Amino acid sequence: MDKVFIIAWKEFVATVATKGFIFGMLFPPFLITIVILVLPLLINREPPKVFGHVAVIDQSGVVAPKLEEAFSAERVKERRAQRLATAVDQSTRAMGLDEKERKLAQQQVDQMSRASAAGPGEMLMPETNLELRVLASDTPVEEAREEILKATGREQRGEGDARLALIVIPKATVSGTGETTPAGRPQFASYEILTAPRLDVEVQGDIRSETSRAIVNARLENAGQDVEKIRGLMDAPQAQIKAVTPEGDRATNRVAQMLIPGAFLFLLWIAVFTSGQYLLTSTIEEKSSRVMEVLLSAVSPMQLMVGKIMGKGAVGFLILLLYGGTGIAALVFFAMTHMLVWQNLLYLAIYFLIAYTLIACLFASIGAAVNDINEAQSLMGPVMIILVIPMMLWMPILRNPNSMFAQVCSFVPLINPFIMVLRIAGSEPVPFWQIPASIAVGVLTVLFMCWAAAKIFRIGVLMYGKPPNFATLIRWVRMA
Amino acid sequence: MSTRTNNAIEIRGIRKTFGPKVAVENLDLDVPEGSLYGFIGPNGAGKSTTIRMIMSIFFPDRGSLRVLGKASAVESKDRIGYLPEERGVYKKMKVGAFLHYMARLKGVDSAEAEKRVREWLVRVGLEETYRKKCEELSKGMQQKVQFISAVIHEPELLILDEVFTGLDPVNRRLMRDLIREQNEQGRTIIFSTHAMTEAEQLCDHLFMIHKGVKVIDSPIDDVWRRYDPQTLTVEPLDAADTQRGWARLPGVREVTERDGVLDLRLQDGADRQSLLRAALEIAPVRRIEMKRASLEDIFISIVAGEGSTEDLRRELQADKGGVEEQEVARG
Repeated sequence: MDKVFIIAWKEFVATVATKGFIFGMLFPPFLITIVILVLPLLINREPPKVFGHVAVIDQSGVVAPKLEEAFSAERVKERRAQRLATAVDQSTRAMGLDEKERKLAQQQVDQMSRASAAGPGEMLMPETNLELRVLASDTPVEEAREEILKATGREQRGEGDARLALIVIPKATVSGTGETTPAGRPQFASYEILTAPRLDVEVQGDIRSETSRAIVNARLENAGQDVEKIRGLMDAPQAQIKAVTPEGDRATNRVAQMLIPGAFLFLLWIAVFTSGQYLLTSTIEEKSSRVMEVLLSAVSPMQLMVGKIMGKGAVGFLILLLYGGTGIAALVFFAMTHMLVWQNLLYLAIYFLIAYTLIACLFASIGAAVNDINEAQSLMGPVMIILVIPMMLWMPILRNPNSMFAQVCSFVPLINPFIMVLRIAGSEPVPFWQIPASIAVGVLTVLFMCWAAAKIFRIGVLMYGKPPNFATLIRWVRMA
Repeated sequence: MSTRTNNAIEIRGIRKTFGPKVAVENLDLDVPEGSLYGFIGPNGAGKSTTIRMIMSIFFPDRGSLRVLGKASAVESKDRIGYLPEERGVYKKMKVGAFLHYMARLKGVDSAEAEKRVREWLVRVGLEETYRKKCEELSKGMQQKVQFISAVIHEPELLILDEVFTGLDPVNRRLMRDLIREQNEQGRTIIFSTHAMTEAEQLCDHLFMIHKGVKVIDSPIDDVWRRYDPQTLTVEPLDAADTQRGWARLPGVREVTERDGVLDLRLQDGADRQSLLRAALEIAPVRRIEMKRASLEDIFISIVAGEGSTEDLRRELQADKGGVEEQEVARG
């Protein structure tokens, strides 16, 4: 047993203490953390600025005054504040925060906004200094368009009087073409917005929505309607969706419903697959570098296999801890830990052990049977299918975690750890008996796979020459 | 028969087949403790298969086997040092770490392992490589590292499969000295080789296997006696003297000549003393000696008629070439 641990420790260190592992495995969580923590600061400090003017050729003569008002300094500021509030509202709803928590978040954002010089909403819309310039209604569009070309590149530097956009509103946009659809709806002409190629998207969107709004307002006035009254009527309310649970009504959380089980599956998958891959390559390396028999002079094939599986399993567990830890840290940082059911982490660990041992047995057998990595590819196909199936079943099972299909899959050997992790983390509670039952199925599969892998491994490690196929492997298993 | 003998290895009637191919057939072998056994035979004769069965890496289809008094080598792995024919190192591992790992796997505790690794690296002149990656070493250096890994746990029984291949003459000599030293410390040693000169110079007992069947199993002196070619080699100073009446000498059966060198084959029971004297009277000679069979001759005489004799001879010649270089290096 001592020797098994010596092998396991060596295998663990040999994988973890490589540049490849440190960069490949440790860097992504580190990078994500940095991005989450630092990126908002960068955005805060450096809001992009847009200087220049927007020209309007208004052939209707009624839209331009409304646009001038819409682009006045205080209206722009108001709009920015409004958009920030909406964004905060939407995202806090999506996160499933309750009323109190959402108010708190809104207050925090407000504080941050007041502290910055550019006023609220700069994160969402760049600071602009757009002046609206109304051109004579008979200005040729070609001529006005030339100005934009001349300005290209200057808008970001804030040099000169760059023309950033040109709005062309034909008369028929407001007054109508005089035709009606068969249903009796009056038809209106469209309008055009031409912009400099690199104009900020947010600014583009703002110009378009304001122009559209001004045109509709002009049409309403044209039709003799009270604009403010109609706008009031059209303000669409957004209800908060709540789930009825025994503990009271809870805001439902679409994101959490999909993302948390997805994250669990992803974690399990990445940990199992990565460590399995390490096991495969290290076994092949031992064979192709002929160090295998040197090792077998000191330990039995069984000790070697068990030690290797344990060592690489520890690597997988480390990956699980790193990525899972990063995820939990993120939840803590955003005060969203209520989305996590802690005991699911225990189940994740149990199902990791089962899934990893299964895949490891397969990879160890393949690694021992082949002479090099190329020969392994052809045997890898079936193993990859086992790994891909849970990914394909992710959506159907999440949508209905207790369907007959999902329940059957929970007892299919080889894929059941993945399916159970999805179901347990999903929104509907899994009938409790299914958890120990599926674990039992997993453990039985593990025992069988270990038995078969031990046989293949023992024969395969010293077999050089013709690459084996699956039929050969099965024959080895059946050999005494 | 009592099993309480002083044999390190006892093999009784083992047979091993791989599919239709018989690798080892009805093999018996006793290796007494403290002996230095040379294991020879052409490629594919069954040497490595036999060794792997001794190591419990393969299991015989039939027959029994005892190693260090146990039914299986698995029970006494830590008392056996084994250098397989198919051997390698972890390419990316440091030499020191690799040896330390191997020592640990063979039951040496960490501190002691560290001490022995350093001592051994100094002993074979590789102390500089302690922190080098194994892949940076030359093949010969790797071979020495592997040898250390086989002996670092101070085993009672040392099995070295094709230990001389890939070594230059200087290192062959070092290896030979190391093996002899291990034997003098009381370890039982089995080494397999098809480098006949190494076997000649090293082993005290010869074991030859051909096509899975044992053909020689006796002390090296007995081998020499049995395969005494009974030939007197004479090289006259003057090439013209080769035509003198050598065949009429008493006790000479047959004379052959090649490049001015004569081989006088003797009758059984010929009086060598008087023959030598008589030969010197025929003509002045540059060289005259009783010929001794080389292991190579014995080897080929057994294998001959079995096909690729020419390939064998060429292979053996290559090995011999190595030895001649060694003599030069020694001088």
